[in-house]
Amino acid sequence: MIAIQTEDVDIGALIAAAKKQGTGAIVVFDGIVRDDEITEMELEAYEDIAIQELEKIARDAADIFKLLHVDIIHRIGRLSVGENILIIVVSAGHRPEAYAGSRYIIEEIKKGVPIWKKELTKEGGRWVPGEHRHGKPKTV
Amino acid sequence: MTVKIRFFAQFRELLGSDIVADVPAGTLLSSMIISVAKRNPDGYSALFDKNGAFHEFVILMKNGKRIDIADADKTVIIDGDEIAVFPPVAGG
Repeated sequence: MIAIQTEDVDIGALIAAAKKQGTGAIVVFDGIVRDDEITEMELEAYEDIAIQELEKIARDAADIFKLLHVDIIHRIGRLSVGENILIIVVSAGHRPEAYAGSRYIIEEIKKGVPIWKKELTKEGGRWVPGEHRHGKPKTV
Repeated sequence: MTVKIRFFAQFRELLGSDIVADVPAGTLLSSMIISVAKRNPDGYSALFDKNGAFHEFVILMKNGKRIDIADADKTVIIDGDEIAVFPPVAGG
């Protein structure tokens, strides 16, 4: 499942569904709203484009790392501390491919998928600065 | 002709979300964004520097395809185009 949605997701059900024939490893990435002295976090997406880009990242990851199954669920809207933001579930025959595939997906999402976060505090709000510009890694 | 311009994140807060602009045929992408951004001085300065050039962090899309800001004054928009203007992404 590739989705951008406000609702949370049942990670246990995703894991169960990811156990395809030949699966030897499943890696779950769960990005969570951290308690950085914020009250809530608000996320927005350019949804039509973001979903296309998530689908491409999933296809590429499956090809490169021979993944048997990929789920990417990115939540938007207003989320509280401790809530899930991004869930990635991948299955593969062996753990190296599963770990590498999961890592590839999160890094590609951070590079270019049009989604933004605003941290809401008692004083107001601040947009989380992106780590990358124009879809390419910043030169350090 | 009409085109849609969509701002996101802090640009949306300053300039609005889905704006339908009526522009003459042959309008350049950069000219269209400038005319919309000028409605709000803070929005304009969020996108452009003192010399009227895009800040280097601004990202542009036309119909879902990225357009380099250096090409914005060479890119002609046509009826029905959807333009998106946004800051660096921060998903995940």
